[in-house]
Amino acid sequence: MIGSKQSDDAPARLDQPAIEARGLSKRFGPKLALHGFDLEIERGGIHAVVGANGAGKSTFFRILLGFQTATAGTSRVLGYRSEALPPAVRGRIQLVTEEHALPGWMRIGALEAMHRDLATRSRSNGGREAAWSERAWREVAGLFRLPSSQRVRDLSRGERAGLNLALALAQRPELLILDEPTLGLDVVARQAFLEALLFAGEHDGSTILYCSHQMDEVERVADALIILEDGRVTEHGTPESFWRRIAGWSIDAASLPPAGALLPEALPGLLQTRAIDGRLQLTAIDRDDDFGACLESLGAVDVQRVPIGFDRAVNAYLDRPAA
Amino acid sequence: MLQITTGDARPIFRQIVDGLRARILTGELPPGHKLPSVRALAIELTVNPNTVAKAYTELTDEGLIETRSRVGVFVCEPRQRLSDAERQRRLDEALQRFVHDVASLGYDAEVVLERTEHALERLGLERGAEATSEDIP
Repeated sequence: MIGSKQSDDAPARLDQPAIEARGLSKRFGPKLALHGFDLEIERGGIHAVVGANGAGKSTFFRILLGFQTATAGTSRVLGYRSEALPPAVRGRIQLVTEEHALPGWMRIGALEAMHRDLATRSRSNGGREAAWSERAWREVAGLFRLPSSQRVRDLSRGERAGLNLALALAQRPELLILDEPTLGLDVVARQAFLEALLFAGEHDGSTILYCSHQMDEVERVADALIILEDGRVTEHGTPESFWRRIAGWSIDAASLPPAGALLPEALPGLLQTRAIDGRLQLTAIDRDDDFGACLESLGAVDVQRVPIGFDRAVNAYLDRPAA
Repeated sequence: MLQITTGDARPIFRQIVDGLRARILTGELPPGHKLPSVRALAIELTVNPNTVAKAYTELTDEGLIETRSRVGVFVCEPRQRLSDAERQRRLDEALQRFVHDVASLGYDAEVVLERTEHALERLGLERGAEATSEDIP
């Protein structure tokens, strides 16, 4: 997205949340893509957005950026109403998606010059200083070793992702939305991407929304964790506070009825049950050691509490039976 | 100098605290040793700098490292920064966790104590007051 030429008629409203959605719903025929969607994101930091495909993420972004109207509810971005977003404000939002769509015929140097020119001429960043960060461009382009004479169509997928990120960060967005940006990248490119995201340029208070299915990436970069399910936000807090609520248990598989017979009514808080090698692994939320006692009272033998990683905690949560 | 893994049962912040604390207590990182800046360590580990900052804060609270403004972060001379009550509280808390984790494993207390002692020795913590050098094999 390119900032359009505007005078500073839309000043930055840094005292207002980066994103504010209240009671959003969106109906497509009989289907509710969003319902009761509430989300408030403070300025600054990296906010990871996690959820199954179809949880409403794309619909929310389209409404947030004013490309689609909500059936009900309100949404504001950078302090402005989504459905009446001044072009200057839209120019302070950068969106990087997994497609990394860029004009293939252009050379990197020319693309860079074009974006720099547009950014500096527009002076539309609401009173923030320079509209183009030479440093961010140099650092990200350097990490991905992007030669300015190369044509975009000759770049690898990883290099295109790097170029996209370099252009986005150099424009010093107030809000940067990354939608599964590392999808399909190899290990080296993913590493470079995370490094560029975390350290390139001066982050001067920009707010970053990071959508990913890669829990190892979320664990590394996220200040906050937002979980989307069935068209609404079901969890929002620090990754650690979420993780602490999830506990793993292991029991002798022979000592309980088959996994399907373990019902949430008998075991409140149960998220997931998996059979592994003669053991049954159970994951529970908001349950303390009393969960183990509960299992024993149901006849479970050799009940052990087992530590679980962040990825498993999130996956078990997303996998839980519908309420 | 430090390795962290994602998918581990310990948060990255905890892995950094444990890793550095072990290296300081064993003397691998001696008093006066300069640690990487928050940003440098975050880049090295590819993690959010806030996570490293939080780990450094914890180690500072434990009296293991100190930040000298505009100079850097250094390993402290060994001394006790926590109040007696706070030390006591943390010891109790850590013991509770440990005892709970260990209880379900079904080991004899003797074995657990012996293994604990070995683990402490590896960190340079020995039975100081009662033990003489002859007691240690």
